[in-house]
Amino acid sequence: MNLDGSAVLSGDPEKVWSVLTDPAVLARTIPGCETLQQVGDDEYTMKVSVGVGAIRGTYAGEVRLSDQQRPASYVMHASGAGAPGNARAKVTIHLSPAEDGRTTLTYSADAVIGGPVAGVGQRMITGVAKRMAGQFFRAIDDELTGVAAPAEALPTAAAVSATSDSASPGEQSPTAAPTAFAGRAGVPAGTSGDVQTLALGAVGGAVLTLIGVLVGYRLGRHHR
Amino acid sequence: MTTKLFGEPVRRREDQRLITGKGRYLDDIGHTALAAAFVRSPHAHARITDIDVDEALDVEGLVAIYTYEDLTGPMAEPLPVLIPHPQLHAPRTGFPLANGEVNHVGEPVVMVVATDRYVAEDACDRIVVSYEELPVVVGVDAARAAEHAVHEEIPDNVAARHHQETGDVEPALAAAPRTLSFTQYIERSACMPMEGKGVHAKWDADDSSLRVYTSTQASTSVRAAIAAKLKLSLDKVEVIAPDVGGGFGVKIVHPWPEELLVPLAAINLGREVKWAEDRREHFIGSAHERQQRQEITVGYDDDGRITALDVHIWHDNGAYTPYGIIVPIVTATQLVGPYALPVYRVVVESVFTNTVIVTPYRGAGRPQGCYAMERTMDRIADDLGLDRAVVRERNLIQADQFPYDHRLTFQDGRPVIYDSGDYPGLLDKLRTLVGWSEAEHLRADAAERGKLLGVGMALYVEGTGPGPYEGGHVQVLGSGKVLVSTGLTSQGQGHETAFAQIVASELGVPIEDVEVTTGDTRRFGYAVGTFASRAAVMSGNAIALAARGVREKALRIAADVLEAAPEDLEIDAGLVQVKGVPGTSIPLRTVAVLSNPLRYAFDEAAKQATQFAKAGDDDKPPVAVGDAPGLEHRDYYSPIRSTFASGAHAAIVEIDPATWEIDVVKYAVVHDCGNVVNPMIVEGQVHGGVAQGVGGALYERMAYDADGQLQNASFMDFLMPYASEVPNIDIDHQQTPSPLNPLGIKGAGEAGVIPGTAAIASAIEDAVGRRIASMPISPTELYDLVRDPSSERTATAARREAGAMA
Repeated sequence: MNLDGSAVLSGDPEKVWSVLTDPAVLARTIPGCETLQQVGDDEYTMKVSVGVGAIRGTYAGEVRLSDQQRPASYVMHASGAGAPGNARAKVTIHLSPAEDGRTTLTYSADAVIGGPVAGVGQRMITGVAKRMAGQFFRAIDDELTGVAAPAEALPTAAAVSATSDSASPGEQSPTAAPTAFAGRAGVPAGTSGDVQTLALGAVGGAVLTLIGVLVGYRLGRHHR
Repeated sequence: MTTKLFGEPVRRREDQRLITGKGRYLDDIGHTALAAAFVRSPHAHARITDIDVDEALDVEGLVAIYTYEDLTGPMAEPLPVLIPHPQLHAPRTGFPLANGEVNHVGEPVVMVVATDRYVAEDACDRIVVSYEELPVVVGVDAARAAEHAVHEEIPDNVAARHHQETGDVEPALAAAPRTLSFTQYIERSACMPMEGKGVHAKWDADDSSLRVYTSTQASTSVRAAIAAKLKLSLDKVEVIAPDVGGGFGVKIVHPWPEELLVPLAAINLGREVKWAEDRREHFIGSAHERQQRQEITVGYDDDGRITALDVHIWHDNGAYTPYGIIVPIVTATQLVGPYALPVYRVVVESVFTNTVIVTPYRGAGRPQGCYAMERTMDRIADDLGLDRAVVRERNLIQADQFPYDHRLTFQDGRPVIYDSGDYPGLLDKLRTLVGWSEAEHLRADAAERGKLLGVGMALYVEGTGPGPYEGGHVQVLGSGKVLVSTGLTSQGQGHETAFAQIVASELGVPIEDVEVTTGDTRRFGYAVGTFASRAAVMSGNAIALAARGVREKALRIAADVLEAAPEDLEIDAGLVQVKGVPGTSIPLRTVAVLSNPLRYAFDEAAKQATQFAKAGDDDKPPVAVGDAPGLEHRDYYSPIRSTFASGAHAAIVEIDPATWEIDVVKYAVVHDCGNVVNPMIVEGQVHGGVAQGVGGALYERMAYDADGQLQNASFMDFLMPYASEVPNIDIDHQQTPSPLNPLGIKGAGEAGVIPGTAAIASAIEDAVGRRIASMPISPTELYDLVRDPSSERTATAARREAGAMA
């Protein structure tokens, strides 16, 4: 299943890159991200909990990154699994300069969705995933334009800043104790109602969360 | 408590259930199931450029959305052409969900599954499908003109050119003392069962088995189609036709897209899924029938005897041809009716239009054929100034001409050979029943009341009970209960009663002990289906043969116990006894117990069958070689060809010259379906058929506009006769038993509808003296016709005028 999309972000590719690669930012912008953890040089794991209405689903994800052409593009290999289903995706992300010093981000995911949720129809899965991508990039853009709520305003965000401060990932070997970043869990998936639909949103979330984490992976290198 | 019930007017045992709301129809099943709904094409011909589901995602309770992209393997291929034919040179079928192009309004494009139908419909409303419209072809004449093509690779719109002839027609026409040529039309109508289509599917993931309930006329074949399309093993699929609220032909078509998509969703989602067709869906998403343009040339002598008949028909088959060319073949071969035609040639061109598919509707091409032949008889009579009944009489096949070979090939691939009948007998009975000789007197009487009165008649022969086969299974239980099953389905015809009568009579058991099951693949896996007036002929005979097998075995076992010869035994009221020796008997239920040698006695009755109950022959096995345990038998009936029923209808109409309302004041039917299992059921079938015949003649049509929009797709706008429009029907029976099957019966299901349009057209023409060449006809159309100076007056009308002046 192919999942393509794009977003215009406020800031030139370099700035977008640096924001996209701040795990603290990602942790609070990825829909439903609970924790984001660097567990090794090339490894990140995370927990996303995407929920709508009365039901929530928690998903574990892993990512690997390749073909980095900073600040233009990279490819990430992501996988996520949760009760209602699982997802495996290869996502190519491009950053290109747009007018007014902005950046056009395009992503192209080749995803395989499995488990019960896979039975609900391709248009529905892509529809939900696209919608969550929209939320993710809106949140990113809010970070870029500074309209996002100040980190301190949220306990989880406080934890984030605290963690990120103390962590200063760059100063420690990637192989050292895992560095964790708390997220702002439970960003609505934007879909509603039925079990299957929620599961779907969740998996879509997992995929996109993985996308985010892959970007986040860059951090260690960047600050090294 | 008689058990000889064959031929008795036994009350329909299913009616208690059906008319007190205790029937179990499709929508009564699966209250907790998810509901499916469909986004259907609003255009008659278009390319799909985009499907946007984003808005639908916010609908609370949405579960799944399927489009063509979700179909893989056999599901991504076109639906099957059910009945291939060498003359169907360009067959086309749609996909379960549209694959880039739609060819009629109502074609399914997207399937939505949600927690209930309301939610599913809401989601459908929010799905935006973008189309690029294409030129539309509506009506048989537009298809024939072929300015545009329905399927671009078929520029002439011709799917099939069906051709049969029994001799060299041109010289025969050239040599004919007189000839007539004319063109006439007949419109579309549809089956319109009270219950539309519907499907419920339940997937057992642990057992990887599927159970499907569907409102169908062919459960075994739906089962095979689902197994093939969804790549399931046949033994993992069960298909059951529950109570079905009418079929009339539309439900013999299969697999309908919904019959494949609902099971697909049930499997993908691991949930029960149900879809019940609504009325608009039935109008635009199922099937219609009947529209034809008929060009007829007939050669005849001065006495009105036909010497040659040449017929060229253009048949509108709608957007696709899933049911092959059965309707054209039936029209072509049944057109000849009860008449001996020295030379006959027929060509039926089946053409595509951007409208709902055309598949058999009760009569299945026969009403059109009858309309062509009988109106030809009327024209010959009008030309020669002869009584219409006399012209018919002179052309009838005589009773001593059976079996009569028309040298044509029927829809079952077998020759059209009439097995038996008495057509002059039918005509005589009809003239008496309707009072044909009183017509002029009645006309004058009506004239005094300011009314225009006309009489008309039409005769038909109907090929019924086509093969290849049906089967029956009869089993007597230790309780005395007799279980009967057959694979074909029931849609309210009274099969439970008729089949039970047959078994009670053959086996000599009380009908109360007989339980009949139809259309359930768990009970009987081999069947063809319920169509072409075949259930009584096919399953009736198969069940009779099965019952005879049980009887033979019962007598054999009882003879052993009673120490008598099997031929000295009889079964009556469930008791096997020695003829003429009261008291020496054994209940059939005990015979059933003894038929199954037991080791373990699970109840009192069973004790009798255990190994120490009685001394057996030490040299023989308990179950003889070639024998089987149990008092049951399965048998099949496979006819060499169809058996031909016949009938004659007459209508008397009164027309009010102020409103031009057409009132059918008398309707007479003489009916011959061979031996009758249940005359009450046969008369009920005739009544229903006549009601649909009247509807087809005076009310029903599919009002398509030039854009292929069906403008009367609801019961507010589609006229059907109420009881108030259906005349009282006088029925007389004639019985010419069929030599082709053990029970000597012929089908009766469709007969009533066949001659309606022809007989009523003849009566209206007789009343107004203007040629009626297009049916159905409304009061408005009749008003316009009689006011139009260019409309053709009949020679009969001119003669009457002359007579009146003289």
